[in-house]
Amino acid sequence: MPGTLWKEFSKGLWKELPPFRLVLGLCPVLAVTKSASTGLGMGMAVIFVLALSNMIISLVRNMIPQKVRIACFIVISASLVVAVELLMQAYAYPLYQSLGIFVPLIVVNCIILGRAEAFAGKNPVLPSLADGLGMGLGYTLSLTFLGAVRELFGAGTLFGAPVMPSAFEPFAFMVEAPGAFVCLGLILASMNYLNAHMARRRGEEEPENPRSGCMACGACSRANSPAQQ
Amino acid sequence: MQHTLLAVSAPPFWHCGRTIWKSNMTFLLALLPAVVMAGINWGIPALRVMALSVSTAVAAEALGTRLTGRPLRVDNFDAALIGLLFSFMLPSAAPWWLVMFGSAICILIGKIAFGGLGASPLCPPVVGWAALFISWPLLMDPNTAELSTSFIDPLVRLKYFGMTAVQDMNWTDLLLGRQIGGLGASQTAALLMGGLFLCARGVIRWEIPCNFLIGVAATAAAFHLARPELYASPLFHLLTGTTLFGAFFLATCMSCSPNREIPMILYGLAGGVLVVLIRNLGMYADGVPFAILLINLLMPQLEMIRPKPFGGR
Repeated sequence: MPGTLWKEFSKGLWKELPPFRLVLGLCPVLAVTKSASTGLGMGMAVIFVLALSNMIISLVRNMIPQKVRIACFIVISASLVVAVELLMQAYAYPLYQSLGIFVPLIVVNCIILGRAEAFAGKNPVLPSLADGLGMGLGYTLSLTFLGAVRELFGAGTLFGAPVMPSAFEPFAFMVEAPGAFVCLGLILASMNYLNAHMARRRGEEEPENPRSGCMACGACSRANSPAQQ
Repeated sequence: MQHTLLAVSAPPFWHCGRTIWKSNMTFLLALLPAVVMAGINWGIPALRVMALSVSTAVAAEALGTRLTGRPLRVDNFDAALIGLLFSFMLPSAAPWWLVMFGSAICILIGKIAFGGLGASPLCPPVVGWAALFISWPLLMDPNTAELSTSFIDPLVRLKYFGMTAVQDMNWTDLLLGRQIGGLGASQTAALLMGGLFLCARGVIRWEIPCNFLIGVAATAAAFHLARPELYASPLFHLLTGTTLFGAFFLATCMSCSPNREIPMILYGLAGGVLVVLIRNLGMYADGVPFAILLINLLMPQLEMIRPKPFGGR
């Protein structure tokens, strides 16, 4: 049992890393990663919502009518997001202000619905919780990493602390919107390169593009169609 | 022996003899007058920027082909051409790291990242220019970078001081490049010569630059006729800033411009209209590079206009 739990938890950390492998939830990935701290804050909010929504949905999965399950998932995640929003307003108001509209938008984040539909709706409580925590942690790490890279080159700071030598002229392109797209593209490319390289070293065939990670998301009907399996 | 003699390869069987090397050499030859004029008008600093940009571009190309495992082909002068085109849009007072960084971005992000020669969806020199212009607007704006000159920047004057400040423009000065702008992009007469030479040699198709300039002139004329006290004349827009350079050398970028007649005409016209719209209504003094990036993005849509195949439905 702990083995399976660890498997569900750890798949969100590299194999099915949400923004970079599943390429889900890109809207906040591009919009709130101007600095490492906003990326981290957004990730924490997603961990909270994702873990709890996975747990609750898994608890009530047998009571939800199949035909209106999406609506039920949204009701559950929306309640949790409102809770996060109120908590942020109370205890982390500057973070709430810098995240802006993207906190309420967690409701319609593909990761929340995707994990609910693909995993929590079909599995027992503990694996669902492990899946939600792992995916949330992977999302947080990705957002923080992207935010740190963009902040480092775009402003010369890291979590608000100056780290670059004083002669460094901030490359402001990185903290603007195009910088986010360019960074995301470069990270995706280097992850694909790394995976192909590791597969070659193990003597396996190079994985195809789009790889099996697309199926793993399970949010669309492609994952269940026999032709794809 | 007998075997090769009788083997028939796939068509086409006839080759016009034009190679990438030849076309790039013609491009460089067409840019030569502008290089000379830039040297005369801006002196050694301009030559320094151009040399640094070209050498960085070639080095970045070597690095990029090494990383992507492609054969090294800097001998076709494509990287050198991109570096030179990029340096033409810089002020001659640009610091060394700005030139090197921008030139490397042109090659690595603009060209190599999309698959090398002929695969870039956006004109590579403009990609580098845009990344730098967004990051360091003060260093990239020729008007704030060139402090030790007696020239004026007509576009900035028009933008911030209105029509009265550009009433007595000397057209000869504009033609000879005695205006503030990108070090090569403002050498109007030299670029016009080079551009016409390229059109005559058939290296670029005349439809794109011609319609680009028509678009600029027509839109500027419409603005000028409606409010002559606010908006400058078409000739002013044609001779200032990056207009001619963009029309002949940037908009015609091989991999990012359409190749049929109607798409080429629409592509050029759209670019010209956008230039004047950005200059007259937008926040930037010179809209040419942004207009070119936008029409590059329009290219796949324009390419869908194609003749109906004979007998097809």
